[in-house]
Amino acid sequence: MLGRKSRIDKTLVAFISPALVFYLLFIIVPTVGSLYYSFTSWDGINPNVNFIGLANYKEIVTSARFGNALKNTVVLTVFISLFENAIALALAILVDRVFKLKNLFRSLFYIPVLISGIVSGFIWKVMYNYSFGVINAMLKSAGLEALMQDWLGNTHLTLIMIGIVLVWKGAGYYMIIYLASLQSISSDILEAAEIDGASAWHKFTKITLPLISGAFTINFTLSLINGLKVFDQINVMTDGGPGFTSETLVYLLYKVGFNEGRQGFGTAVGVVLLVIILVLNTLQQKFLRKREVQV
Amino acid sequence: MSVGRKARTIDWILVIVAAVLAFIFIYPVLFALMSAFKSNGDILRAPAAPPTSFYTQNFVDLFQMSDFGTAIVNTIFLTVVSECLIICIVPMAAYAIERRRSRFTGFLYTFFIAGMMVPFHLYMFPLFREMKVFGIFGTMAGPIVSYIAGSISFGTLLYCSFLKGIPLEIEEASVIDGCTPFQTFWKITFRLLGPCNASMVILNGLGIWNDYLMPYLVLPSGRAKTITVEIAGFVGQFTARWDIVFAGTIISIVPALAIFCAFQKYFVKGITAGAAKG
Repeated sequence: MLGRKSRIDKTLVAFISPALVFYLLFIIVPTVGSLYYSFTSWDGINPNVNFIGLANYKEIVTSARFGNALKNTVVLTVFISLFENAIALALAILVDRVFKLKNLFRSLFYIPVLISGIVSGFIWKVMYNYSFGVINAMLKSAGLEALMQDWLGNTHLTLIMIGIVLVWKGAGYYMIIYLASLQSISSDILEAAEIDGASAWHKFTKITLPLISGAFTINFTLSLINGLKVFDQINVMTDGGPGFTSETLVYLLYKVGFNEGRQGFGTAVGVVLLVIILVLNTLQQKFLRKREVQV
Repeated sequence: MSVGRKARTIDWILVIVAAVLAFIFIYPVLFALMSAFKSNGDILRAPAAPPTSFYTQNFVDLFQMSDFGTAIVNTIFLTVVSECLIICIVPMAAYAIERRRSRFTGFLYTFFIAGMMVPFHLYMFPLFREMKVFGIFGTMAGPIVSYIAGSISFGTLLYCSFLKGIPLEIEEASVIDGCTPFQTFWKITFRLLGPCNASMVILNGLGIWNDYLMPYLVLPSGRAKTITVEIAGFVGQFTARWDIVFAGTIISIVPALAIFCAFQKYFVKGITAGAAKG
């Protein structure tokens, strides 16, 4: 209870203002600032910022490097979202059904989530290594020398190999959400279906899946947004290479901003990223949420 | 689980499948752990083999060849100070939003939550410029203020959903007893928010502990920054000394793992509450 009517405003202001000040100063002001800088040729050092209109956005539309980064981002994000959700859901169903050691399995699948992006990238980079990596060593001892390769150096595979690290690191998080959703399904419904003669497959597709569609919406949205923001693993594993094969929008933004002194163009790329996130979020609200079923 | 022979076999098969998958999932972590206790030669020669002895030279080298101690102190400082301030600021705002429903607080709720969609990479350049204006670029205060601001979106979601479950009667009683709103919040409600605070500190703290880009770009160069930043630096710098980097990764992973083992249920609560629809 926040006091009587006469004091309401003062109290409300006192409770909210610290958070509001931090939020405005260090999120909203720089976000609005980036909209402004995206119309400038700011280099990050020079205090004088030149307004250049839509030039950055024109460059975005025409530049092959941006097109390549956009393509890479789409490939990586779609790969991550699909596999993260498929694996997370499978793990959640498995943990839900296992009759022993439920909590232990749940914890073990969650452990990769605890590891930082940089550390996970480094561990996998070593495992992927051509000469000294554990994956090639295992293939060799299994007599599958033909499959051995430079996992991160093969330009057809680089993005997928980075995607695997992110799926491994992220699946446990989404599993927790699916698991909570599965456990909230009342067993009465499933028993009733069983009495009515529903097969296991029918119970799963007609009852379980519709009832966890809320978790599905949340997880799909979260994994898409997180996929768009991947940075640390790319930084430590490939630095956007070989060539530009693993340069995503976020990585392009970082590179032009810090290595090439073009922070104006970098923020314009960031604005495009924000627009993509907003569009995805709206689509999610429109399409996925409609299909959700409530009990 | 239904009883009967067939069901039992299936149950055991599922446990075995889960065990195999769990092993695959934690293998990279085990691999890092094993490698941290192997000499560089052993890591290169037999990457899959377990360490032959309890070899700790990597850790000695790590602290001798780099200023890793400073990095550890910095990481702990950033995480602890940010979380202490977050716990003072965020629950209070969420409390006002949740308990004092109006169009204004409704707007604030949406306004705060919307921040989750804004990627850090979008606003980092202007943010750094702003930090320079305030004179906090290159100091610990830079990342800390940004972590506080960045915690508000998820925090509002988490605390508001948790506050819905705390009965109003207790607070009403304390108001009747003459408590000011501040006293009511800090002495009554805040204590009832314990599990929620734990979830917030743990999930948010893990993000700060593991953060890379912000400390890398904001903290002054020429000195050790944070654990994650040092490790990223080693990958380029000690390309031939993986043993040292692995020793560093273990120092990064073990505290997170220990906190997870001790406070597991708060991880689960925080994630599921954060995923609840706002």
